[in-house]
Amino acid sequence: MKNTVKSNRLGESYLRVEHPSGLTMLLCPMKGFSSAYAMFGTKYGSVDTTFKTDADEDYITVPEGIAHFLEHKLFESEDGDAFARYAATGASANAYTSFDRTAYLFSCTENFKESMEILLDFVTHPYFTQQTVEKEQGIIGQEIRMYDDVADWRVMFGLLGSLYHNHPVRIDIAGTVESIAQIDADLLYRCYNTFYNLRNMVLVVAGNFDPDVVIKLADKILKPAPPMSISRKSPPEPDTVAKTRTEVSLPISMPVFQLGFKGTPGDAARNLKSQVENEILLEIIAGESSHLYRRLYDQGLINATFSFEVMAGRDYLASLYEGESRDPDAVAAAIRQEVARLRAEGIDPEDFARCKRAAYGRYIGMFAKVEAIAGLMMLAEFAGVDMYEFPEWVANVTLEDLTLRLQQDFDPERSALSVVTPSK
Amino acid sequence: MSHRLDRVQLAEGVFFSAVTDPKFKHNRISVNFITPLTAETASDNAVVPFLLRRGCKSRPDYTALERRLCQLYGAGLDADVLHFGKYQMLSVSIQCVDDRFALEGETITRDCAALLADIAFDPCITAGSFDEAATARERQFILDSIAAEINEKRSYALLRCKQEMCAGEPAALRKYGTAETAAAITGQSAAAAYRNLADNANIEIMFVGAGDPQAALVIFQELFGGMHRSSFAYELCQRMPAPQQVREHVEEMELAQSKLVLGLRVDGDEEDYAALRPIRVMTALYGGTPFSRLFNHVREKLSLCYYCAARYDGATGLMMVDCGIESENKQKAQDEILAQLKVMQEGGFTDEELQSTRLALRGAMKSTTDSLGGIESWYLVQILMNSEVSPHQNAEAMSDITREQVIEAANRVHLDTVFFLKAKGGDAQ
Repeated sequence: MKNTVKSNRLGESYLRVEHPSGLTMLLCPMKGFSSAYAMFGTKYGSVDTTFKTDADEDYITVPEGIAHFLEHKLFESEDGDAFARYAATGASANAYTSFDRTAYLFSCTENFKESMEILLDFVTHPYFTQQTVEKEQGIIGQEIRMYDDVADWRVMFGLLGSLYHNHPVRIDIAGTVESIAQIDADLLYRCYNTFYNLRNMVLVVAGNFDPDVVIKLADKILKPAPPMSISRKSPPEPDTVAKTRTEVSLPISMPVFQLGFKGTPGDAARNLKSQVENEILLEIIAGESSHLYRRLYDQGLINATFSFEVMAGRDYLASLYEGESRDPDAVAAAIRQEVARLRAEGIDPEDFARCKRAAYGRYIGMFAKVEAIAGLMMLAEFAGVDMYEFPEWVANVTLEDLTLRLQQDFDPERSALSVVTPSK
Repeated sequence: MSHRLDRVQLAEGVFFSAVTDPKFKHNRISVNFITPLTAETASDNAVVPFLLRRGCKSRPDYTALERRLCQLYGAGLDADVLHFGKYQMLSVSIQCVDDRFALEGETITRDCAALLADIAFDPCITAGSFDEAATARERQFILDSIAAEINEKRSYALLRCKQEMCAGEPAALRKYGTAETAAAITGQSAAAAYRNLADNANIEIMFVGAGDPQAALVIFQELFGGMHRSSFAYELCQRMPAPQQVREHVEEMELAQSKLVLGLRVDGDEEDYAALRPIRVMTALYGGTPFSRLFNHVREKLSLCYYCAARYDGATGLMMVDCGIESENKQKAQDEILAQLKVMQEGGFTDEELQSTRLALRGAMKSTTDSLGGIESWYLVQILMNSEVSPHQNAEAMSDITREQVIEAANRVHLDTVFFLKAKGGDAQ
């Protein structure tokens, strides 16, 4: 089944195809671009640690970091690795694992068909042996060690570990050297057979390509996937934060911090919309055009590294500020105080109008690059919406909507500060 | 799209260059001051773009400036400092959505060009000085940025290797200067640096985007009409020979992972961009792709690291190879990196590897035309290297590089310095 999804605002469209194999494909050809960008993704990430299918009797709990480990291992097959195959087409290939998805991607300017064939083939043909699993433990071990020294990474997991008591989002995506030592080929197959069912996956392509080529290749390569439903189990997560402050030290020059507010998550679509709305709120509270930003900057408490973001997923939502500061506690106190004031006094309609307009420009501008469009299509599809809703959400957001989010997602009592300080 | 660079001279040493393509949704305009990088002037120059970013005579109040940017549909105004070969590049840029997305028919692009012109050329300098309080904040930011070099261990190790290897050469200078020179920045010294940039730097104004550059061109033309100033011609760094004896440096730090960097020099006196293509192909085949020699051997076969890569800088003639490893594997990794260099020099790579590398480079070149930033930096580098090649032309030319040229290039590569950032203790907590 095929249908065209349109945006009147942008004057653009893409094709949504429900392939007989069970795979959903989103295809967005873009005139004038040299490259095509393709991503084959599964709704499976580091937070999916306890699960079962309707065919399994009991839930299984797998070692932390296994989704990411599986991503590495899928590149290998009996006759060499996928990078070697892509080498012959000239495509630039990669993959990533996040909290709630894993994606395999390539970008190319020629030989699109050959590269797409490789992508569809290797992701649907797992090959794991004990020997190749052991080899990967060394490589991923070094990846984990590398991140251990990265302050931005450590400060983020310090924050997530403080905001969440039990939710697996508090655990490093790659796991630990100890947890990945427990991974074996059988466990990898169990995860693969659960989450790499085509009905749990999506293929997105944007840029310089012909949709018919993709559909024909899918017809040729993809076998119909058996109907299956997946149940995931997360431990119950209280509304409160686990800790209000956490600190580690590393050899760095100046403290870095994240101040996060634990939100009230809804379903995946609601969380995505909350992400868009909370970004506008973060801008109103302490964005560069706010009085608070000016005060903190003039006092030398923040510098040009100060920024904000919203982390939203299937069942979690957190809004945060981050940056370098000589006194992160003073910054956190000032922001919490401003949030409390806004919750009591309400948002200034002028601030709302200004920040909404800036957000509108930014969201229109997101539809400008092949990789961005591919990413947006996948993000939206996994949340059950289409990507053209992002600018509509911004265009239609009201002061009342933001006031509600401010009450639900910005409670100073449900916030935490994570700091990485310079080691002595 | 051919992506022709339309280049107009506005005054001595001042050019306005435009590349337009209707596929984009934004316009990006940048003003780039290019000046020789010296130890004495680096810090005073480096603070200038950050001071410019805080306000101009027409919008002296930072919060009012930010509110104007929100009105311009969230236009982004950025300041940047770059080090390229012998030169320091100080930039301010603005990026906005194209006028066709304006809700009330505003001329967003023209307004942004006018704002950027004010930011770059009508700064808040009174009686020969920037405001001292504002200067103090930006001076602190420069000092913090210098101190922050240690934060990213991979780039820190690369920087340290270059410093040890290239003492006395422009490649060893830091783009923000040193803590000593940065501490000496004052409102007056920064204003003097600005004056010197405005009068004597080469100024490259770039317009890349979907819209018509005409309105922006007119704004900058009016600014520079009849102005007398000086200019200079761009040169690459002088190539220095590697020493007879390889230099070794070890630095210890509380880390989880050690970083190994090999600094190499590439002989040759390439004067033009085209002559650099063989060494670029050689570097990519050696360690620039996930099917390169270094990736396949140091990472995949020996399982020693997560990354092991080589990069070449055409402006300086330096090649850097780096990887993150366990301390006890240092010699093993170093031996394998050099063994693979020997393979390159002896031509022990397959035609397939060469063909794949050429293809990968072609793809990378061509995709630069899909982003505004990619196009802008491509042409800035072309200008700095006295070349006028488009990404697509360069992609085609890469395909002609032969096995013999790659082997010849590999034989011009010599190890100069080994820098080891050694993890001491166990996990850093």
